[in-house]
Amino acid sequence: MPKYQATLLIELKEGILDPQGRAVEGVLKDLGHPVDSVRVGKVLEIVFPAETLLEAEEKARAMGRLLANPVMEVFTLEALKELP
Amino acid sequence: MKWAIIRFPGSNCDEDARFALEKAGLKAEYVWHTETSLKGFDGAFLPGGFSYGDYLRAGALAAKSPVMEEVRRFAHEGRPVIGVCNGFQVLTEAGILPGALLANLNLHFTCKEVGVRVERNDLPFTRLYQKRQVLRLPIAHAEGRYYADAETLARLEGEGLVVFRYAPLKGETDYNPNGSLHDIAGITNERGNVLGMMPHPERAVDEVLGGTDGLPLFLGLLEEVTG
Repeated sequence: MPKYQATLLIELKEGILDPQGRAVEGVLKDLGHPVDSVRVGKVLEIVFPAETLLEAEEKARAMGRLLANPVMEVFTLEALKELP
Repeated sequence: MKWAIIRFPGSNCDEDARFALEKAGLKAEYVWHTETSLKGFDGAFLPGGFSYGDYLRAGALAAKSPVMEEVRRFAHEGRPVIGVCNGFQVLTEAGILPGALLANLNLHFTCKEVGVRVERNDLPFTRLYQKRQVLRLPIAHAEGRYYADAETLARLEGEGLVVFRYAPLKGETDYNPNGSLHDIAGITNERGNVLGMMPHPERAVDEVLGGTDGLPLFLGLLEEVTG
């Protein structure tokens, strides 16, 4: 069965205070970078088998729904590719 | 009444929980998270710790454990379920209690005694406290900032589901240790049989440990059976 690699991005929902992002923002400013805001998220690269690209996308989204907490997070399927 | 203390890889308050339950006269046994049955138990206690090293999110991976289906069944059947600290995080991640516990506002792992006000005493967990009594309980967490959307918060407040709130011990104004919305330290479900809280009552059951304000919580569970 072909292998696919999905890149899932999990971020805090808009409007939820992200103290980690605030801390990074503060350091960037201290180092002379004029930034407006920083948000910290997570990237998951998942390699898994699927028959077709369509099936791979369904599986990737199902895993995203499982791994992101809808109370405070949203996930995006950033990329999906078949591995050679 | 026999309690199951659920052990996840990384739980570390399991023995404290057993000490507290047994001190109150309750029976307790450890149950590994891969178990699929809680047959023979009357209550489930999810202890504190760092299940799965807090990977992904605190409590997120433990919430998918096989035993959690049984904990969910207990919750639905009205049996008592208690989650303390990481156990509370597991209960919210499993969707058994609403909301989520986010990183403390100051990003510090905070380990200290705090004031915790009892908001209702009609639950088995709180029946031996006075309403609005302020307890002295230890906290020890990095992700304890209770968060829920505005609609959920309104429902929690409207239905009186907030059981414990951070409160001043000596009139201090910075009594909220983590930035929890509405100073929420512990909540229950509609039926009142599931309790999730960040402070550690099981670490406050003996004077030698610095206080006994947590003991009535466990004694109240005993009263449910005998009284």
